[in-house]
Amino acid sequence: MYRIRFHGRGGQGMKTAGRILGTSFFLEGFDVQDAPRYGAERRGAPIFAYVRASRSVIQERGVIRRPSLVVVADDTLAGLPEADVLGGQSADTVMAILSDVPEGTWRSRLNLDSPIVCIPRPDAIKGYAGQAMAGVCCAAVAARLCGSIPKSTLARAVREELGFLAPSVLERSLSEASRMFDSLAPYEAVVRDRPDREFSCDNPPGWVELFHDAAAVAAPVIFGGLTSRLLKTGMWRTFRPVIDTARCRRCWWLCSSFCPDSAIHVGDDGIPAIDYEHCKGCLVCVARCPVHAISAVPESRGVRQENGEEAV
Amino acid sequence: MSESGMQYRGMEDFPSTRLFGSGTPMCAGCGGLLVIHQLYDLLGSDTVFINAAGCMTLLSVYPYTPFRGSWLYTAMASAPAGAQGVRDALDILLESDRLRREENLEVVVLTGDGAAYGMGLSATSGALDRGLDFIYLCYDNEGYGNTGQQYSPATPHGAATSTSRGNGGFRGNKKDLFSLWAAHNPPYAATVSASEPLDLARKVEKLRSLRGPRMLLAFSPCPTGWGFEPAQSVMIGNLAVQTGIWPLKEFIGGKVEHTVLPEKRLPVEEYLKRQGRFAHLFASSAGRDIIAELQGAVDRYWEGVR
Repeated sequence: MYRIRFHGRGGQGMKTAGRILGTSFFLEGFDVQDAPRYGAERRGAPIFAYVRASRSVIQERGVIRRPSLVVVADDTLAGLPEADVLGGQSADTVMAILSDVPEGTWRSRLNLDSPIVCIPRPDAIKGYAGQAMAGVCCAAVAARLCGSIPKSTLARAVREELGFLAPSVLERSLSEASRMFDSLAPYEAVVRDRPDREFSCDNPPGWVELFHDAAAVAAPVIFGGLTSRLLKTGMWRTFRPVIDTARCRRCWWLCSSFCPDSAIHVGDDGIPAIDYEHCKGCLVCVARCPVHAISAVPESRGVRQENGEEAV
Repeated sequence: MSESGMQYRGMEDFPSTRLFGSGTPMCAGCGGLLVIHQLYDLLGSDTVFINAAGCMTLLSVYPYTPFRGSWLYTAMASAPAGAQGVRDALDILLESDRLRREENLEVVVLTGDGAAYGMGLSATSGALDRGLDFIYLCYDNEGYGNTGQQYSPATPHGAATSTSRGNGGFRGNKKDLFSLWAAHNPPYAATVSASEPLDLARKVEKLRSLRGPRMLLAFSPCPTGWGFEPAQSVMIGNLAVQTGIWPLKEFIGGKVEHTVLPEKRLPVEEYLKRQGRFAHLFASSAGRDIIAELQGAVDRYWEGVR
């Protein structure tokens, strides 16, 4: 069985990647499961999609804990515990990552002995507008690395899954998939079709007895306000707004009024400050500031600037 | 109506404190969340929000809440019925001196357009019949956004949704919820857009001075469902007002008054062309006909206003 896990951010087409790959396997006569994980399926938030493909009936269910292939669309996820990119990886798990950072750096950063395929990010997915194309590219990566899917089948699956889009988008998707597939010829079939696991090798679950508590104890009542602040939605950002306080005119805080997430607060000095723990990077503030005192900076550069590793 | 005695004359009268909590799982650039936080900054924590199922289901997922006060979750069609129960309970506590006057809470229904325009309409009409004392906030993102933007009775004619993928987009027409409310002759009903915070604040101020069923119908641009960059969320609201597609108006004292009259209306294309859901209209002559139809409907509406 092939067990493939896609990691990306909302908006990068991970669900689509799973569907294209799943359909490709299906067209080749495999038994297939493909499903994204239910959760905060929001733009920028970590997204997971899973594909299982087997020559026999698939008995496994649920999320993939022991992947044979992990495809990472966005290398900034590698450092996020919530994204769990490394979860369940073993010595023969192949990790394919779309990244301009060299393979050796990833090997030492992640302390991995297992195979890493580092694929330079195609131009098509760079910048804000091209994000959605990452899914098609990742499907092509997985198809080539698994080796059981001819290019013509991949193209058929892309047509089947994206046929409802505008013809120009479909054509671009097909050409990106084709280019990615061709570029990975040296990695054909590096992911092995492993025999399905015997369930007898799994330990029986440790049952936990749940007692019937009184409603006052068991009902999901929240007694404290504002607990949502414990959720750090700042990790959704791909771009961050940065305020140039020298240019800020201390207007009546348009940025703060228009921030959908209440993530801009105004200090006693009248200067707004952005709460980066919660700012999702929607950039409404950048668009609204009348004197253009807020700029959008790629998140990775913003982090380096915050740490003093790069000049502002 | 005279503006004298109004608290919100300019942006400088606005609260600078953000009362609504960060960390909610709504999409980046969510127009619905924007209107909720603007309203909450004005209403404050002496409120109970009764939430019909929809995107905002995810506001308060145990044990997290962005509210300072209370929130109650109901099924999609029954938020006004839930509000009736909460209002009645508060009234009984007040009458029996178990709640002090200053501890009274404002009951606010929070609903998306799927529930407000469709399956929740019957319960809403009933609450209007009974004169229930509540605020009704509908964040209208013109489709079932939480489940992938299927069409709703609030979807505009011609828009592509995940259930209207043909060349013509959605074949139906957007239901006029404001007029349905006005037909019930409530104390107050208004349309708002978070892109016009001053207009919104003035309306909230008026509605707070009244009792009974009071509605705010909020234009809520949806980056995910409508296909535009989150950063443009407020600009899409501006354009909806400036093209005349989203009239800002209120129903008070039995009369409809427009609170913003666009001096020179922009062509509807300016609004449509920035959204993926209307992109197909620009690709064929049949689509061009639909754009002309939409422009005609907007023109006819404003003819009636002048």
